[in-house]
Amino acid sequence: MINRRRFLNISGRTMLGAGLASLLPRQLVAADNSFSDYKCLVNIFLYGGNDSFNLVVPTSNAEYNVYAASRQNLAVEQLDLLAINPDNSDGATYGFHPSAGALQSLFEAGDAAVIANVGPLVAPVTKEQYLSGAASLPPQLFSHNDQQAQWQSLKGDASLATGWAGRIADQLAAETADQLLALNTSTFGTNLFQAGAVSIPYSVSTTGANTYGAFGAEAALGAERRAAFESHIDSEFGNVHARALAAVHKRSLASADLVNQALAQAPDLATVFPASFLGAQLNIIARLIAVRDRFEMCRQIFFVGAGGFDTHDDQNELQPGLLSDVADSIQAFQLAMVELGVNDDVVSFTHSDFGRTLTSNGDGTDHGWGGHQIVTGGPVNGRQIYGQMPILEIGGDDDATGGRIIPTTSVDQYAGTLAEWFGVDTSALDIIAPSLSNFTTSNLGFV
Amino acid sequence: MFVSLFALALGACGGGGGGESSPATPQIPAPPPSPDPPSGEIDISLAEGARFLRQASFGPAEGDVVSLQTTGYEGWIDNQINAPASSQLQHLAALPLPENGAEGRRNRLEAFFKYALENDDQLRQRMAFALSEIMVVSDQGALANRAGGLASYYDMLSEHAFGNFRDLIGAVTLHPAMGVYLSMLGNEKPDAARNIRPDENYARESLQLFTIGTVELNLDGTPRLDSAGQLIPTYDQTIIEGFAHVYTGWTFGGSVRFNRPSRDYLVPMQAFSSFHDTSEKKLLNGVVIPAGQTPEQDLTDALDNIFAHQNVAPFISRRLIQRFISANPSPSYVERVATVFNDNGFGVRGDLGAVIKAILLDVEARTPVAGGIGGKLVEPLLRLVSLWRAFDASAPNGRYIYPQPNNDFGQAPLRSPSVFNFFSPDYAPAGELSDQGLVSPEMQITNETTTASVNDYLALSIYIRNSNATTLGNQAIRIDIAPYLALSGDPEVLLQRMAEKLTGGVISSELEAEALAMINTIPQDQPAFRVTEAIHQIVSSVEYALIE
Repeated sequence: MINRRRFLNISGRTMLGAGLASLLPRQLVAADNSFSDYKCLVNIFLYGGNDSFNLVVPTSNAEYNVYAASRQNLAVEQLDLLAINPDNSDGATYGFHPSAGALQSLFEAGDAAVIANVGPLVAPVTKEQYLSGAASLPPQLFSHNDQQAQWQSLKGDASLATGWAGRIADQLAAETADQLLALNTSTFGTNLFQAGAVSIPYSVSTTGANTYGAFGAEAALGAERRAAFESHIDSEFGNVHARALAAVHKRSLASADLVNQALAQAPDLATVFPASFLGAQLNIIARLIAVRDRFEMCRQIFFVGAGGFDTHDDQNELQPGLLSDVADSIQAFQLAMVELGVNDDVVSFTHSDFGRTLTSNGDGTDHGWGGHQIVTGGPVNGRQIYGQMPILEIGGDDDATGGRIIPTTSVDQYAGTLAEWFGVDTSALDIIAPSLSNFTTSNLGFV
Repeated sequence: MFVSLFALALGACGGGGGGESSPATPQIPAPPPSPDPPSGEIDISLAEGARFLRQASFGPAEGDVVSLQTTGYEGWIDNQINAPASSQLQHLAALPLPENGAEGRRNRLEAFFKYALENDDQLRQRMAFALSEIMVVSDQGALANRAGGLASYYDMLSEHAFGNFRDLIGAVTLHPAMGVYLSMLGNEKPDAARNIRPDENYARESLQLFTIGTVELNLDGTPRLDSAGQLIPTYDQTIIEGFAHVYTGWTFGGSVRFNRPSRDYLVPMQAFSSFHDTSEKKLLNGVVIPAGQTPEQDLTDALDNIFAHQNVAPFISRRLIQRFISANPSPSYVERVATVFNDNGFGVRGDLGAVIKAILLDVEARTPVAGGIGGKLVEPLLRLVSLWRAFDASAPNGRYIYPQPNNDFGQAPLRSPSVFNFFSPDYAPAGELSDQGLVSPEMQITNETTTASVNDYLALSIYIRNSNATTLGNQAIRIDIAPYLALSGDPEVLLQRMAEKLTGGVISSELEAEALAMINTIPQDQPAFRVTEAIHQIVSSVEYALIE
């Protein structure tokens, strides 16, 4: 959502005494930052279920022909695919969708990797186990919100109200105790990914922190009104919903001015981001990263979102725009990280509800299961495909039914690898990714 | 209630005359006292009446509580059920501008605000708004330039608001806006040679979100468990595929050919048998419909099958209770309402008029629940609308131009980012609510960004856009504070009067003290500032965002 600045809404750039930082909520744990370095993860969530089987496509004849036979009128033309040359090979060759040229460049330069056929799993599943009903599975496969929750929480078949980034923040509370902003920040509003048991994420708009104009220095009695409101939201509300709302008000007021003041000092970036919502989100994140030292940040996780990937209809018309936005936005973000000198500290990675059916419904695809994801950034051991590319054959060994591909890598492995790089102790990885121990490889090695 | 400036153009929806030259909007006389009040009617206090109207309408306007005290709750509901439905489509048709593009989107939202502020069918429009957040279509995406189609969809929800649920899901299913949004429109029978099978979008989302949900429910809305203590799925992939096959062969109504459709968004979809799958189809609860049926027969059987499912009553009852009364209704409250859904007392299943009456009159709605877990947060946009109603807001040009409320409030009618609505009925923020197993759906659009933008827009709508301002544009919607300027000499009286208008006089002693201190900071020779400060102190408060 774009935030308009209105005349009531004064900019945080004009004011703020140094004492405000002391108002910010801090962890009670008194400790110096235990991390001497900076690391940052950026989750790019593609809402609706990205049809990634059209993003990374086999180009070698035998494999392409299987793909084309399955995909029919939704297949990308073989000659249009943008070839990639991974350092590892499974015998086939691959290319990106013609709208994802930016990803091809990143991949070929060694700054991006493909995580093949990843999806929510409780444990490895064979087609036979799936069909017989013997497999332990995440509930409500193929349902948007349930599978979004799987990706974000890794709850498997258990009940879990926290997200995996929220649990990382909980785990690293002591090491990040001096950070002046929450470890988790979202430009896409509330999300399960960043919900912690203890840690609380923070939300910004694409222009920075929204401010309460009526409390600003330019509003008559603004300071007095703010003081009265702060007293009000400190009241002991008897109702649980009121307490929840008051807590958000407190966090919003505590951080907004500091955030905007810091952003006003952010250097101008030469990098031009796409004019999309995704581009705007990654742009503000780049600016927040640029001023991270003002908040004494050593670990940060950002959450951004993009919608429109639920391509039941008009997929051939919609997909080029969707994929070029993702590819161009990721590339711009990576260029901005280089420009800021933090490219070796930042990893961005995609999530999505699910892959889509290989079969068509005429002009689109339906809800699948496994799919490919993209990881980018300096720390990534790029120009490689991790995991196992599926057989894209209807009724083949990887097809659960109807062209829904059974994942061969779990989101737990994907997330666990990122968490370990981020600094979570190996002994705590099963808290972040509870099903990790059900898989033989706990670290996929892509970062 | 206010007379519409568009009353003549609108015909059925407006009141009497009125006109742009009137400096003050004329009032419709309050209905005469009922000569024979319903037996057992209780006295309704100002506080109780305002609380009811905050739950059941877009908020009390001047005189509304007095009317309610005359009719009683049940009489008020009956009047509302009988009131004719306002039509957004009529509003669009009365405007000279095209219905597509930004003007169309703006005008469609104008209809929402206009009817919420001016028209008498308050409960019906609240019900349509609630249903629009359950059976979601949106102008984000393929329907961006289809304001007329979306207005027609909203009108359909209004029309069926107190009708039968079976008719509602029939109308929702065949509305072309839904057909486009969830891609049932143009959905074809399978073509095995080309690996084409029916689109599962409407099949899945209509079961998951509109009617029964993903797990079996008891009548009280709690999940049923199997003998191993596990949740029981309501459907599997084969059932989704069964419904997906049912929903084949439909396109825009009035089309001559399936592949060259009319694109008429105002009439129900029509079927072409040659594009419909005629195989046998597996539906819910073990029902199989036979091969060889027409598209219409299949559809009737499938919707009957859904309507007969035991989940529909608790599923819909809980969602509607959440939109009007409580985020966490007790199981017994859900069961009482679901029981009415299943039988309205006259053997009719799915009577939504009876359902909303049961929701609003239930003891758990009329009496605040003890323990501090009752009630709900008011949807952010409805806080603005109720402010506007309380203070008779209007713009000099007679319009209600507010094209992007979603930027400020995180929501706007038929503008959800997806079919999952702005917030989920099961959303629980981490912490206290989640720990207690409670939900608070509106908290999903309540974060550091939106608390500021909501507060900011409310402040703008009070301090800047009011009847005392002299430099506003013609289309700025402003509240009328003129009647209260004379009260500003006595801050206690002023604050009490403002509280009466907004909450029936309910205000905590803490907020009262804080507000009075602020009002007293303002010199007495600035009456408008004092009045707006009093209003803002209440409207920006946490307690105004809650109806317990």
